[in-house]
Amino acid sequence: MASWPSSPTLLGKSTRRLDGPAKASGRATYAYDIRRPGMLYARIVRSPHAHARVRAVNVSAAEKAPGVRAVLPLVDVSQPDAAKAMYQGDEVVAIAADTEEQAHDAARLVTVDYEVLPHLATVEQAMRPEAPAVFPKGNVTQGSLEEEGDLAAGFAAAAHVVEGTYSTQVQTHSCLETHGCVAEWEGDRLTAWVSTQAVHATANGVATALGVPQTNVRIITEYMGGGFGSKLGPDFEVVVASKLARQAGKPVKLMLDRKEEQLGTGNRPSAYAKVRAGVDAQGKFVAFDAETWGTGGAGQGAGFPLPYPVYVWTSRRRRHRDVYINAGPQRAMRAPGHPQGSFITEVVIDELADKLGMDPLELRLKNLPPEEPNRMWGKYFQMAAARIGWSRRHKTGDPAPGPIKRGLGCAANRWGGGGSQQTRGHAEIHPDGSALIRIGTQDIGTGTRTVLALIVAETYGLPLGAVKVEIGDSRYPFAPGSGGSVTIGSVSPVARIAAEQALGQLVAKVAPSIGADPLALAAKDGRIFVKDDPSTGVTWKEACTLLGTTPIVVDSQWEKGLSSVGTSGVQFADVEVDVETGVTRVKKIVCVQDTGLIVDKLTAESQCYGGITMGIGFALYEHRILDRNTARMVNPNMEWYLLPGPSDIPEIDITLVDQPERGVVGLGEPPTISTAAAIANAVANAIGARVRDLPVTPAHVLAALDRQREGGTL
Amino acid sequence: MAPKDDFGFSRRDFLKTVGVGGIAAGVAGPPEAGAQTAAVGPGAVPITLTINGKAHRLEVEPRVTLLDAMRNRLNMTGAKRVCDRGACGACTVIVDGRTIYACSALAIEMQGKNIRTVEGLSEGTVLHPVQQAFCEHDALMCGFCTPGFVTATVALLERNPNPTAEEARKALDGNICRCGTYSRVLEAALSAKGVKRG
Ligand code: FES
Ligand code: FES
Repeated sequence: MASWPSSPTLLGKSTRRLDGPAKASGRATYAYDIRRPGMLYARIVRSPHAHARVRAVNVSAAEKAPGVRAVLPLVDVSQPDAAKAMYQGDEVVAIAADTEEQAHDAARLVTVDYEVLPHLATVEQAMRPEAPAVFPKGNVTQGSLEEEGDLAAGFAAAAHVVEGTYSTQVQTHSCLETHGCVAEWEGDRLTAWVSTQAVHATANGVATALGVPQTNVRIITEYMGGGFGSKLGPDFEVVVASKLARQAGKPVKLMLDRKEEQLGTGNRPSAYAKVRAGVDAQGKFVAFDAETWGTGGAGQGAGFPLPYPVYVWTSRRRRHRDVYINAGPQRAMRAPGHPQGSFITEVVIDELADKLGMDPLELRLKNLPPEEPNRMWGKYFQMAAARIGWSRRHKTGDPAPGPIKRGLGCAANRWGGGGSQQTRGHAEIHPDGSALIRIGTQDIGTGTRTVLALIVAETYGLPLGAVKVEIGDSRYPFAPGSGGSVTIGSVSPVARIAAEQALGQLVAKVAPSIGADPLALAAKDGRIFVKDDPSTGVTWKEACTLLGTTPIVVDSQWEKGLSSVGTSGVQFADVEVDVETGVTRVKKIVCVQDTGLIVDKLTAESQCYGGITMGIGFALYEHRILDRNTARMVNPNMEWYLLPGPSDIPEIDITLVDQPERGVVGLGEPPTISTAAAIANAVANAIGARVRDLPVTPAHVLAALDRQREGGTL
Repeated sequence: MAPKDDFGFSRRDFLKTVGVGGIAAGVAGPPEAGAQTAAVGPGAVPITLTINGKAHRLEVEPRVTLLDAMRNRLNMTGAKRVCDRGACGACTVIVDGRTIYACSALAIEMQGKNIRTVEGLSEGTVLHPVQQAFCEHDALMCGFCTPGFVTATVALLERNPNPTAEEARKALDGNICRCGTYSRVLEAALSAKGVKRG
């Protein structure tokens, strides 16, 4: 099945996404857009303090305020140990009122008595021996040790050693549609329209939290405005809205505002690494030794792979500790850990190349594992090098006169992906010729709806529009949350199997009617016909009338075959840096990415554009800044939390490597991994000084240039 | 950390000039509106908004933004609320021919103006050329920023039917897309044909 389709009509081409017109015309209805009769609006009162005990909450004025219908305490003040806010934005009370303005007014009338407790605003503060014990199990975890090979022998064999401390910042997901939902009860049955990446996980989690049978909970996500890992649910907002709705006996909308979104709905943890790495005289990576740490905020880990598992190191050791601070907890964010690990590793490699006096691309090629279909970095590096014009790369430090320096850099990525064998699907073919595929997955902007239609239409030999796709509802057959780039690998095989079986049943009806062997029939171009004698056959519609009044209904399960695990890619960056202002402009990004079997080229490319764009934000702009005294976020908005905008985007050159025999491969995450590393290396190549900390802000660039003048960063 | 404006090419340098005007209007009120709004509120007051050529009568408190009036009162949810303070463009609408951030204009101040939203661009199922171009170029992923980008692009092309890439980028610099569709939004903006001068 992996080689299906042998001669595709639809697959692998650039197909417009099915829901484009709904989105472009503003008709697409997101959770934020749902309005139900009698619907109330909810607000959450949150702690302004990074760490505080909630001693008392007075809601009496709020309860009496105009329009207020429900008030729900979210902390239990009778439990002093538990009644704590652990970060700015931690929830205290929820209120629902007739209008949004009334909910705001009422929230302002809530008075909370906080006992402000000592807090930790930075990893440095948390790691001091005299730091207050804020977290019950300690502020810093014991740490884990990974070791492989003989490190002492590795360093003994090293001709050159690089030592440095590297760091990456906290990045927030910044989904345009904030977290939230509309919850409505009908008796003891709950329907919630949720902005989520996981309708089934949300149904399950919400049912458990509310103590109602899961059969009574329905989660609908027709459209959702971005998640990037932060909406894998079940989200607290859904539980709160459901409880308020139950209390008030009316539907409740609870959508977070931008500040709440920035404070409390997740982030990519920071990463720090003190690295010593060695290379031998021939350019073989012989040793990598790292002390690493990072923070995922209040009580959350900050893991990342290091050295980033693309290159082969003969010996390595790594000790990692998680540091807790009083800040919003991390959540999975697009390729969790990978951009951090990639940045640190790839910058170290460029430094080793400089010490060795070797071209960094050549050095990389020397240290790659053997090629396999899902790890073809060597080939991709060569392809991308040609596309960016690597041969014009100068040694580190652009010799050109004037303040504008140009540089090139590169980095590799890998991702697992695959598909969940729990996935189920449902297909129908009706006597009138209409066809349906139904799976409880969701389209988070990746084009899932379109992919499903393409696979089923390809199987039936019908045009794309002939297949109705039903997704985004927890009543539909189980599919996993859209995380880990597993959606396409989960739903494609299930859709294909369901369609194949349904078609098989239809063909079985057609065969006797035209006196042919069912195995000799094919479905293509809207007809079912004898392969060797295409003139013998019927149209799809005629075939379906043979069903009488009984539709074909098929339920399918995931099987191996149409998807595969593991993908690889590389990215190259061409940048310009003004050494007087420190400003970096990315001129071009080249991306070469394994795509497996391409279902829709257009949406696959969009994943790459999207990943790279987010990678540019990580490389140059985005940074959650906490005030080091109060641990409050300085930029919980979109004007100071800097997301890349239209003018920040360079020319982006994408090559999708089509390997149909591999089956489909998820693309949501891999293209964002190596962008920042490639940019950082290009910046160093331009300016002749290393920026070891992300984001590569003008301040970091100028500081690196200062250090270089003072004694060298290379 | 330096604000992006220091870079010299920030989208915020190019916040649609009228967007800023819209905010100013929201705060101070244009002279002609000043007289009639001076004494109203804080309770709901009747207002009339002309949206996509149709008059809508509604009652809102004077503090209600045009965006919230449309979304929560009129059930016109094409324009999105994302930042609610003029930093992302998801709420972009066209007022008297120029784009503004609907989150940063008060509904009461928008009376007597010609407000156009994404809902008014397509005719039945026939998409506006800009919407069509967005679909063809996949200039939309999750789609949450899309109505804002579409509206900003329409306003641009009505002013300047053949913009350069640089002009298009600058005109769209007040809009944010987290899914990263910018490259394709630009392609769409430059390829959309048949937009008449507004
Ligand atoms: S919601 Fe109006 S500019 Fe962001
Ligand atoms: S398409 Fe998702 S934010 Fe732009």
